[in-house]
Amino acid sequence: MARLLENHRRYDLRDDLEKALNRVDFFRIFHTMALRFGFNHFGILQLGNENDACMLSTRLVLHDLPSGLAEEYDKRHRFGDSLFYKTLHTSIISSVWRSDDPGCANGQNLLVQLGFELLLSVPVHAAATGARYAVLFLGDGNDIARSEHFELSYDAVCAFDYFYRIALSNKAGMGLTPRETEILKWISHGKTASEIALIVSVSEHTVNSHTATILKKLDVVNRTQMVAKAIREQIIQ
Amino acid sequence: MTQKADILLVDDDPAENLILRGLIKKVSNIEIELHYCQTIESALEFLRSGKPVSMVLMDNRLQPQRDFRETVPALRHQGFIGPIGVISGSLADPYFQNLEEYGADFRIDKSEIDPTAIEFILREYLAPS
Repeated sequence: MARLLENHRRYDLRDDLEKALNRVDFFRIFHTMALRFGFNHFGILQLGNENDACMLSTRLVLHDLPSGLAEEYDKRHRFGDSLFYKTLHTSIISSVWRSDDPGCANGQNLLVQLGFELLLSVPVHAAATGARYAVLFLGDGNDIARSEHFELSYDAVCAFDYFYRIALSNKAGMGLTPRETEILKWISHGKTASEIALIVSVSEHTVNSHTATILKKLDVVNRTQMVAKAIREQIIQ
Repeated sequence: MTQKADILLVDDDPAENLILRGLIKKVSNIEIELHYCQTIESALEFLRSGKPVSMVLMDNRLQPQRDFRETVPALRHQGFIGPIGVISGSLADPYFQNLEEYGADFRIDKSEIDPTAIEFILREYLAPS
């Protein structure tokens, strides 16, 4: 991954972000960030077209909400009808929401529906593609002060920038790492993920995650096409 | 249906077993059975016994081994292909950047382990792929 310049000021988060390797690391960073500013939970929401049908559970790309909460919400409510969702398509200004906000008609108050008191939303986007996301912080506080709001918004932008580049971006066209090439070679020999895990001494989860990255990098949709393209491109013999 | 998970904690400090056991009780929606081994040898024996292990949480420094760079490969050589997380009091050492090369999946600071983190990790690694 291309390193950022020192001109990109990341302040206290710099070391943690530079060391982050996987989704667990970003979970740790965002979870700690939420707790540090008095929130209980965070969620990173992928935004699409405003008029697309949209479920909360499928739009959350990383979160620490209680298990099943977003799915339960989707069974009862329509995320696309909430005032919060609509405003994400109106403005990129960071917003703070309280459960007793006036002006929310029935079925529009996301916080009441989710059972939290306070929501802070920081709209963000991917530098490479412009794809839009929002980093949400949820809790039971009354409000957030101006300086904390600024700081949290800035930190959220920094952390999301790394999260996108390391975990979310489409890595098509990028070169394979030695470990990815090794796994590709074993796939071409017809080995399953669990067999490769044993051979390479990693977990099956790691093999599957490398395989997903190889699919992205080679811009292919399955293992057969992956091997065919890798041979064609002379990545493997 | 409630998901089930068998976690094997390997830590030379029995107090960590008690602490994790307490935290796990607060995890909802996942029925967790915590198994505990004090040494890498007993952990290898546990794996050999064939008892189910969905995930291993390994203290970074287990005497007399140096750190996870020796213990995690030992578990892998035993044929364990489930996720392995390394627990440490500090993740500052540069070798943590290469954890995957040693067969580990993730790292977590002791102070960051709470019921939310445990639930996230289990969801992340044990969900059907």
